[in-house]
Amino acid sequence: MDLAFTPEELAFRDEVRTWVKANLPTELSHKVHNAMRLTREDMQAWARILGKKGWLGYGWPQQFGGPGWTAVQKHLFEEECALAGAPRVVPFGPVMVAPVIMAFGNAEQQQRFLPGIASGEVWWSQGYSEPGSGSDLASLKTRAERKGDKYIVNGQKTWTTLGQYGEWIFCLVRTSNEGKPQTGISFLLIDMKSPGITVRPIKLLDGECEVNEVWFDNVEVPANNLIGEENKGWNYAKHLLAHERTNIADVNRAKRELERLKRIAKAEGVYDDLRFRDEIAKLEVDIVALEMLVLRVLSAEKSGKNSLDIAGLLKIKGSEIQQRYSELMMQAAGPFALPYIFEAMEAGWQGNFPGGTLANAPLAANYFNMRKTTIYGGSNEVQRNIVAQTVLG
Amino acid sequence: MDFDFSEDQEQLRDAVRKWVDKGYDFDRRRAAVAAGGFDRAAYTELAELGLTGLYVSEDHGGMGMGPTEAMVTLEELGRGIVLEPLTQTLITSATLQTHAPAALQAAWLPRMAAGEAIVVLAHQERAARYQLSRCAAQASESGGAWTVSGTKSVVAVGDQANAFVVPAMAQGQMALFLVERSASGVSTQGYVTQDGSRAAEVVLSQAPAQLITLNGLSALEEAVDIGIASVCAEAVGVMDKTLAITIDYMNTRKQFGVPIASFQALRHRVSDMKMQLELARSMSYYATLKLHAPADERRRALARAKYQLGVSMRFIGQQAVQLHGGIAVTDEYIVSHYFKKLTQLDMTFGDTLHQLGEVSARMQETAGVFA
Repeated sequence: MDLAFTPEELAFRDEVRTWVKANLPTELSHKVHNAMRLTREDMQAWARILGKKGWLGYGWPQQFGGPGWTAVQKHLFEEECALAGAPRVVPFGPVMVAPVIMAFGNAEQQQRFLPGIASGEVWWSQGYSEPGSGSDLASLKTRAERKGDKYIVNGQKTWTTLGQYGEWIFCLVRTSNEGKPQTGISFLLIDMKSPGITVRPIKLLDGECEVNEVWFDNVEVPANNLIGEENKGWNYAKHLLAHERTNIADVNRAKRELERLKRIAKAEGVYDDLRFRDEIAKLEVDIVALEMLVLRVLSAEKSGKNSLDIAGLLKIKGSEIQQRYSELMMQAAGPFALPYIFEAMEAGWQGNFPGGTLANAPLAANYFNMRKTTIYGGSNEVQRNIVAQTVLG
Repeated sequence: MDFDFSEDQEQLRDAVRKWVDKGYDFDRRRAAVAAGGFDRAAYTELAELGLTGLYVSEDHGGMGMGPTEAMVTLEELGRGIVLEPLTQTLITSATLQTHAPAALQAAWLPRMAAGEAIVVLAHQERAARYQLSRCAAQASESGGAWTVSGTKSVVAVGDQANAFVVPAMAQGQMALFLVERSASGVSTQGYVTQDGSRAAEVVLSQAPAQLITLNGLSALEEAVDIGIASVCAEAVGVMDKTLAITIDYMNTRKQFGVPIASFQALRHRVSDMKMQLELARSMSYYATLKLHAPADERRRALARAKYQLGVSMRFIGQQAVQLHGGIAVTDEYIVSHYFKKLTQLDMTFGDTLHQLGEVSARMQETAGVFA
């Protein structure tokens, strides 16, 4: 039992901290620390910087060109990036599809796709959800029919995050209607420039277009873009979920946002109002408890003992915390969070914001945006089903 | 960063668990409550396991162990809602060992380790509630001899203990004293508390006292933080068992022709209980591992931990009763006793609201496990 990181882990953290400080452009960290709008170019710029260093695929093993870090090192890397105000790594390429390609793709696919992901040059999107398949993902209907050396894909995906920027998309598609729904699904990589693909951004309640609908109308996909075997795609997707463990809690970002909440509360004069301050104190305990939970999972991964099957708990608590800090920030500003001036979230905007200070401009939008966190990635109700299954059988 | 237990710690856990399972069943506990809430024989059995000397150095006949071993032990005692005041022994033995003059240590620690003497913390006062710095008890010195006057409330096993560790004001500053129960000017009024354990009102009237330290407030804060870490560990054991009993019941109890564990509204409640248990366990580890941190950092951490444990205890206790239904509000069924234990632990060493105030007052710009 020991709370402290090892001297080697601390040295690693210092190395990452020094590098991030020297390489993270201040215009990016300024935007992140103040919740200003990030462009595709902003996100790509940071991805390329990481890619050049070999750290965009920071979870990758060395055999695929990754740094081969331990779970603790990955956590420390994420923490340093988050606290420094780096944009989040868009996960679809390096964190989500790459591990599937490594585990189940063939050598040709690995050589074709991994370098573009590692360098940050190619933007990937995720094609899972459909209008009729949300929590019940296995009911998905987008069809892929084998015709010679091609698949013909028809159907619709939705909630495709940042899909308007996507160059490639990894999709779960139906290749069979035999047996259980899960057994007829395949994992297909699709070039988004293919004829027959239409992407339509969905404007969300905060005014932003963060997600998209993607239509497939007789889209031809080379059969060698199939990952692994036909009808085994569900297993590959589950493998991916198993890889998405502690980072789902996003506790490092929560620590940064707690600091921002305190700054806003002080600026708005509510930090010394005990009724408000106690709410921040509750959130602070929540965040420390979540961090301890994350550290316990990392420790279990490190030692291979006392394995903790609590990904569902991390998702539930992490998402609730994200919603809570965004809610408290908005409440701190009170009526001064209400002026809705879309351009005021752009860095360098020179207008006159009627909400007292520009820091208040994104607060309501962030609050509205964060409602997604308890819905996506398996809604929190689905997570509770999963947790209950492990506890009650 | 490592949350695995050593082999020795696992063996200690097994030994305590074995005693709880085989030596301390519900009937024995019930008899102890009926007899006044204290079972001297059970306390002696804990001493035979070496647990009363857990913190006492080997020089003084103890095991010289640390907070992690204390945590492991208390988790297991919590599982069996054991009444005996081991937490008090941990607090007072650590306090004497750290702060008392050598002669006082030599006079008490070996007997405490052997289970022959019980020493408890008598710090609570009616007007102070959970505020440690508020103390009305007064100490005075004459020719090198001290006496203490004041009233201390809800003192664990106060009418059974051999001596008390008592905070009192000496020339405007808090000091800690050891007062023997058999001394002149000491009177106690014992009673049973809500969880079935024993406590007393202790009145000191110019009672002869031995000085432990003149640096009383920081020593008391340290003592109470040891108490908080102990309560957190004990609570984790109580909650773990409470959830296990509830799960068993839900998989057995049938309504509408099926086990009630099949109903989604109840399953989600169980998921929420599991969440509270794991957050609590995490913060119990945190409390234990912060006990040796610098005072400011330690105080902040222990307040955070006790706040989380308070929230978790309230939720798990109340929901365990609700998920059982009517059977859980009977005295006969075991869950009501777990619920009462959790309720009492929340109000021991500062309840949820008090700890929230502590966290709130101690917030800094940055926060996290390491800050």
